[in-house]
Amino acid sequence: MQRLSVTLRTATTVLSLLAAGGFSATASSAHARAPLETPVPLVAAPDATADMAQTEYDPLEGFNRGSYAFSMGLDRAFFGPVAHGYMAVTPNSFRHRVSAVVYNLGEPSTFLNDVLQAKPKRAGRTTARFAINSTVGLLGLFDVAAGMGIRSHDADFGQTFGRYGVKPGPYLYVPVLGPLNFRDGVGRVFDFFTDPVGIAGGGWTTTFGASRLVVQTIDTRANADLAFRGLDQAIDPYATARSAYGQHREALVREATGAVQELPDFDDVSAGPEPAATPAKASPQAPTVPVEPASPEPAASASVPTVPQ
Amino acid sequence: MIPPETTMTKAHPTRRLVQLALVSLIGLGAMVQAGSATAQGQRDAGAEQFVQTRAQRVISVLADKSQSVAQKKATFHQGIDELADVPRITNFVLGKYARTVTPDQRARFAAAFRVYAESVYQNRINDYHGETLKVTGSTVRKPGDVIVNTTISGGQLGQPVQVSWRVLGGGTSWKVVDVQFKGVWLAITQQQDFVSTIDNAGGNVEVLISQLQRDAQRPASR
Repeated sequence: MQRLSVTLRTATTVLSLLAAGGFSATASSAHARAPLETPVPLVAAPDATADMAQTEYDPLEGFNRGSYAFSMGLDRAFFGPVAHGYMAVTPNSFRHRVSAVVYNLGEPSTFLNDVLQAKPKRAGRTTARFAINSTVGLLGLFDVAAGMGIRSHDADFGQTFGRYGVKPGPYLYVPVLGPLNFRDGVGRVFDFFTDPVGIAGGGWTTTFGASRLVVQTIDTRANADLAFRGLDQAIDPYATARSAYGQHREALVREATGAVQELPDFDDVSAGPEPAATPAKASPQAPTVPVEPASPEPAASASVPTVPQ
Repeated sequence: MIPPETTMTKAHPTRRLVQLALVSLIGLGAMVQAGSATAQGQRDAGAEQFVQTRAQRVISVLADKSQSVAQKKATFHQGIDELADVPRITNFVLGKYARTVTPDQRARFAAAFRVYAESVYQNRINDYHGETLKVTGSTVRKPGDVIVNTTISGGQLGQPVQVSWRVLGGGTSWKVVDVQFKGVWLAITQQQDFVSTIDNAGGNVEVLISQLQRDAQRPASR
């Protein structure tokens, strides 16, 4: 208990600092980016730049693309086959129960963030869900609470930071861990070290902790299989994953702030205002040599994940 | 932001500190949020009705076991035209390049994109098993621009999923321009994919067109 409160105290203090730091960082980086064509991700933007406003801020694209290719190779060689093996030998219903147990063990962490976000109703619902599902729901195997109308919601430190105005910052593809941004990367570290179930279970080095980590990893990968298949069919899977991740995270943050999403216009673009820049200027990292139509496109072909069945 | 050092020595220093940190954070949050939360718009019954019938129809076609794959593909092709504003989406996914392509490139892109997009969904035909769609509400962003919220359940889904449809139009005439699942808008994501591809080809749209044509030929990998 003592350890938990120490962690909590540290967490909240650092959270406050980060929240404050986030504002100044956002303010200065907005200035720094002003001359570029890339605005702050997912903020209100006029129609002419609507497509750019949806682009993630990705100054580390070179590193990230390498990291993405490496991770996809690792997935092809290891995580993918493990997940597909798991999916082959277990029925759908079994995997749903596993997901339910994994999810239930995440509820205390959700509760912690509900509290930090000053959302008493959500915190109450999370508490009720955890209490009901851990007992009547047989250690989380069955989501009895949802049947009673107490529906689940997600919360993590990345969302908590976002709820207090911290912007996502640069996009980051961490090998193995997957897509992140600076805000959610710091959040992920906080999630790991403040997770009440993890602390109660003695960290990830105990049998319980290690088993949970392994099951969680396989469960996450299996649940993401449709997304992996979607990436497989993208022309530039890296850019697709980046866009989907950013949208997904900002939607989660909006859930906490109650903000309404700014959406691009679907009106005829040619009727709109003139573009501010030529295409080549908008992508400083792109090769300027035009590629022959018949030759393979290097970035996409290098990172197309082809996970075997 | 950081509470005075003296609080540390009080009876419940941890609780006090947490409270103080929370209060300051809430205050901060309120300042940040000022003006960002806007009142939700009204519902639009016409748009809701459109999504309920048309979107459900496309889902049902994919799950219909009595139809052959070829029949499904034909019905799906027709269903897409009734459901989605294909020309608008085609223009949108080109992003900034929609303003610079030649009419000839635009026409060839439109054809390649249509075949590619349909092949992507047709490769998933086996994933559909009688899901049902239920409209749960809608938000009018501005007249003629509505987000319709739905829940899709049944089939192979362990849990019902929330799917939102952005529809443009009015009265009884509507078309879908984008679909959102888990916060991710399909057309926006597609646009990022295509724009990035063209960016990395130095602005050459031909590279994207030929990739689309090649990928459409590719059989379902799984």
